Amino acid sequence: MSFIPGIGLVRGMGLTLRRFFAPKATIRWPEEKADVAPKFRGRLQLLYDEYGTLKCETCFQCAQACPIECIDMGGVDTKGRFHVHWGPSETYGERREESALRRSGRPVADPAFERFEVIDLAALDEILEAHDHDPKGLLAILEETQAAYGYLQVAALKHISRMTGAWYATIYGTASSYRHLRFEPPAVETAAPAGEGQRVEEAGYRAALDAALGYGGGRPS
Amino acid sequence: MTTPNRAWGNLTLLGKVMVPLLLLLLVVGPILTILLATVVGPWLVGVLSSNLGIVRFVVAIAGILLFSIPAAFIIIYMELKVIAFMNLRIGPDRVGPGGALHSLVAGLKVLTKEDFTPTGADSLVFTWAPVIVFLATVMTLLVIPFGPGLVGQELNIGILYVFAVGGMSVVGLLLAGWSSFNKYSLLGGLRAAAQMVSYEIPLALSVVGVVLLAGTMNVYEIAEAQQGWFTDWFVFQQPLGALILFIAVTAEANRTPFDMAEADSEIVAGFATEYSGMRFGFLFFAEYVNVFIISALLTTLFFGAWNAPVDINSVLALAGLSPITVALDPGSLGIGLVILLATVPLVLTLVFATPFYLARSSRPAWQALLLGFVVFNLVGFGALGLLAYISWPWLAGLIWFFLKSFLFVYVFVWMRGTFPRARIDQLMGFAWKWLLPAALLNLFVTAAAIIVVKSL
Amino acid sequence: MTTTDGPGQHPSADDPRIMLDDQIGQFEAVPPYPPRTEREAEFYSLRDGEMFVNMGPQHPSTHGVLRIVLKISGEQVVDLDPVLGYLHRGVEKLCENSDYHHVISQVDPLEYVSSLFMEWAPVMAFEKLLDVEVPRRAEYIRVLTGELLRVSSHALYQGWMALDLGGLTPILYGFIERDEIVEMLAAITGQRMLFNYFRIGGVNGDLNHEFMSRLGDWMSRATSQVEANIGLLNENEIFVRRMRDMGRLDGETAVRMGTSGPNLRAAGVPFDVRRAHPYSVYPELEFEIPTRGHVGGGDSLDRYLLRQDEVRQSLRIIDQCLHNMPDGPIMARLPRLLRPRPGRAWAAVEAPRGLYGTYVISDGTDQPFRMKIHDPSFVNLQLVGLLMRNSLLADTMACMASLDPVMGGIDK
Repeated sequence: MSFIPGIGLVRGMGLTLRRFFAPKATIRWPEEKADVAPKFRGRLQLLYDEYGTLKCETCFQCAQACPIECIDMGGVDTKGRFHVHWGPSETYGERREESALRRSGRPVADPAFERFEVIDLAALDEILEAHDHDPKGLLAILEETQAAYGYLQVAALKHISRMTGAWYATIYGTASSYRHLRFEPPAVETAAPAGEGQRVEEAGYRAALDAALGYGGGRPS
Repeated sequence: MTTPNRAWGNLTLLGKVMVPLLLLLLVVGPILTILLATVVGPWLVGVLSSNLGIVRFVVAIAGILLFSIPAAFIIIYMELKVIAFMNLRIGPDRVGPGGALHSLVAGLKVLTKEDFTPTGADSLVFTWAPVIVFLATVMTLLVIPFGPGLVGQELNIGILYVFAVGGMSVVGLLLAGWSSFNKYSLLGGLRAAAQMVSYEIPLALSVVGVVLLAGTMNVYEIAEAQQGWFTDWFVFQQPLGALILFIAVTAEANRTPFDMAEADSEIVAGFATEYSGMRFGFLFFAEYVNVFIISALLTTLFFGAWNAPVDINSVLALAGLSPITVALDPGSLGIGLVILLATVPLVLTLVFATPFYLARSSRPAWQALLLGFVVFNLVGFGALGLLAYISWPWLAGLIWFFLKSFLFVYVFVWMRGTFPRARIDQLMGFAWKWLLPAALLNLFVTAAAIIVVKSL
Repeated sequence: MTTTDGPGQHPSADDPRIMLDDQIGQFEAVPPYPPRTEREAEFYSLRDGEMFVNMGPQHPSTHGVLRIVLKISGEQVVDLDPVLGYLHRGVEKLCENSDYHHVISQVDPLEYVSSLFMEWAPVMAFEKLLDVEVPRRAEYIRVLTGELLRVSSHALYQGWMALDLGGLTPILYGFIERDEIVEMLAAITGQRMLFNYFRIGGVNGDLNHEFMSRLGDWMSRATSQVEANIGLLNENEIFVRRMRDMGRLDGETAVRMGTSGPNLRAAGVPFDVRRAHPYSVYPELEFEIPTRGHVGGGDSLDRYLLRQDEVRQSLRIIDQCLHNMPDGPIMARLPRLLRPRPGRAWAAVEAPRGLYGTYVISDGTDQPFRMKIHDPSFVNLQLVGLLMRNSLLADTMACMASLDPVMGGIDK
């Protein structure tokens, strides 16, 4: 502290006044981009080498290791329309299961990726063709698929995913959120209506009750 | 059931009351309008013209209330921007040019927020405390002269009024702190009360010197007493008084380094902790209007109010010229004004465009014309402004007053950007041990000097 | 005032009794269970004119998520009770369940302000266990990056200190300083905050052009910039008057409480791990151990100014590192899977907040059997009970800030 009272205050104010006119340190994102070091590893993207070739070898190790499937390998199809998977999507499931098993030491049940039966996909192809393989009409495709096959089989969903490029999770999620779409075959129609046997028993009980209460001919209505 | 019946049945109870009233209004409305225009109108004009003082007062109050909001907006923006610049940041820059509309948008945000009353709060007091604070603050503006003739109300005890009404805001702060049912608020309110009560004394004493010099407590007359060169300002006769007033108003307005009442690192936000929505907005606005008021007070009492630092007329007299008195009265030109308005822009644009056109042969004519038009506008508005400045003293006064006031606002913001906060005991000790004796000393020296000068 | 309802009966806003006068204590900071210790019973009983104020964990100026229950009488703090654990993540157990390489990334977020030091001590301990010779170039790079980070940590400290006293500007200057250093480190480590850079037997990457150009650019103006930033406050009368005599700590108490780092040196005790128990290449470097304080010990202003002295020394060390930097490898040759022989090792480094140590026991597997982390912030935070008592409410946070705790390290 100096001997003149207040000189420290004035010096501080002098510094702030100089800084008032000094160039500013703010980076006005998004107009300006920060000068990021080349080695910075905080960014999530695929890198290209100096020849312009994608460095990714598509070995699927990252997607395989990702426990919550947030890494998904994909690209744009040859017509530049839809986002499609490069690898067969079911391999993800198997690998995912393996990885989950290895990590937790116990198998993780996932009905979406259980082994599924192979079905005849000709009818589904027609439906997809009619919708121009456009995942925007997903609900209509699913409804028509159900009409054609009776219910939504895993193979059919997988095929829709592969052909339209929509993620399997999206399709599964769409299908499971509508009540009228079902994943199991509909209940057998020939079975007796619910409650038939029960009603027979009930009649017996009622007769016994009536007898006990002394209603001979019938109950008062 | 007929259609009208069904419609009637569909109406709610409120509707059933409203429909006949509406019909009545359709009939009565025109009749009343005619009556108002023929009978009440002239009467009203008569009453108003016979009570000009009241009309003037109401208009002044409305003007001051309207003025306080944009003033607060400008100061909020200024604080954000200036402190940001001192912090080597840019500050708000997204809304409007350079972020100028930021505080307006912030005000709208405050309006749309939920107005929340905490459990346990005394809701009546909680609701009215910000109103008291805001009113006490804005009412102070009433006696502050913005320019020659531009004063809300000329009171012969103006300074007393400023301190009395300004000190009323402490009641609001105390109520806000107490009614919030929050310990931080309570501490903040108590701190505000203690601080303001102790700083009222040096604040009032520091101004007494000025009152003695000017011989009046009327703020308008004090401002008038400082006419002439800048050496006639009271700050050169009362430097200590000005310094004490500067420190005391800083504490009075809860500005850094004396902002203990809302110290965010100690008691969250002080009395404003539990406030949200427009109630918080009132407190916030009052704070920034207060900054303007203390700056205006410093300007008015010590820094020459609306007077320019240089007395132009005396300079002209020194140079052997008579004082310029241009009366800006366009109406006197008559039909000539129309001709002037029609021809002057065209001619002057062409005149200003010619050098641009001739200077570089590659410049196309339209570019030269555009440049000429721009130059014409600059010159024209500059000339008009100068003319207005010379012929209307109230405009000149307004310009100087706002220039000085906002200079002080800048200083307060600057201090906020630089200083840390003082501690409450240091603050009180400073007020009682240093400021009060200094103010008394200033008062005695001034009084003695006046007696000596008068006896000579 | 204690609640007699017993455990499990938390006060709720729906309770109709809540507005009754005798129930207003429900809003106090009193825990909803009967006192467990004598100290708790004594603390949570109020005398006349006293009240509790709950500072933190959501108070705007607590560092991280520390909660301090203050018992105040007017503005005077009568007693206080720090409550920890809001940031606890069991990092020691995490380390014991991950192999030796993974430990480095687990300990990183402990002191997120200077995370390279958090890697340094475990890495040194593992190197002792494995008996590895670290290449000299790697050691120099460690010292260089570590001292850079010390400068950034102290720059930030000065900002925080001022912020807790109500100054708005220094924190931004501190962050500008830190941003430059952190961007520089990102050029070699790849990250800005949790570097994950040191490896067992060396470092992850060699110095590169990007780093060196940024460092040279910064070094050319570092001294003047740091001095200018300091000049904003250290002569300011308001600041000096507040810091002087706030939280006075004498050397004996400091040693008895286990304090280390700048807080200890500001009390006049010249203890620095870099000189007291030399490690890495510090014996080869010239620097001083600045101390402040006098007979009565050091106050907050001493602690504040001491960090500025340390910044100056750090700049000296950085300069020497750049001049003496040898060529050579940056990693020792090691197997990919590390299985040290059973044994135990202790390593300590001088972190910006004091002695940061790691004690490791190996059982011969690829994971540490036990890993104990000694964090300086935790030990320094013990002092708040001594320093804050009988101070003013306004000084509590500033007093705590002068000890520079980082909650990540305290709660571990």
